[in-house]
Amino acid sequence: MEQQAPSLAVILLSEDLEKLHAGALVGSVASMSGMTVNVFVTMNALKSFRKDSFENADFITGTIGKEMLAKKIPLFDSLLQEGKDMGELNIYGCALAMDIMDWQEEDMIDVFDGVIGVTKFLGMTQGATVITM
Amino acid sequence: MNVAKVLDAKGLACPMPIVKTKKAITDLQSGDVLEIHTTDKGAVKDLAAWADSTGNELLKHEEENGVFKFWMKKA
Repeated sequence: MEQQAPSLAVILLSEDLEKLHAGALVGSVASMSGMTVNVFVTMNALKSFRKDSFENADFITGTIGKEMLAKKIPLFDSLLQEGKDMGELNIYGCALAMDIMDWQEEDMIDVFDGVIGVTKFLGMTQGATVITM
Repeated sequence: MNVAKVLDAKGLACPMPIVKTKKAITDLQSGDVLEIHTTDKGAVKDLAAWADSTGNELLKHEEENGVFKFWMKKA
């Protein structure tokens, strides 16, 4: 078996659909490959996780993102849920950004495991490989 | 080869063949062989890497009329 880092931290910052999808894709496959994955959703990425934004496909899209929506492929919510179902993947909203926007966890699509601060997230992900999107 | 289950993942794009494989193999017993059919070209390297990282054994793979077939033995 190849040596593999035991833990992956994915930080989602952007509301670009391609970045959300790529981060979710890497996280979900890592989870299914036996890694512990913690996803931190912060700044504008949080907007895309809002139920109203998600239902209206209110994302920033480039060439590939537009085609993803047209072809109705499973989006980042499905990938993250698969990662949760088939491995150890946890998703947290950023307390600061949620507080600034006065958004609640119940405003978000149902994939979150909680709303936490960055200190807590750093404590959970010590030694992890970090990917930022 | 004694195949316990055949997974039809044709027409699915990355990473869904891996997702479906993970789901299908979870239901099998250790030593059982899962046969996977996919049309995703990336799956050739992806399934080999996934087998390496999970300890499952990719016994062989072949291509037939654009369909990639894999035989994965559960660890």
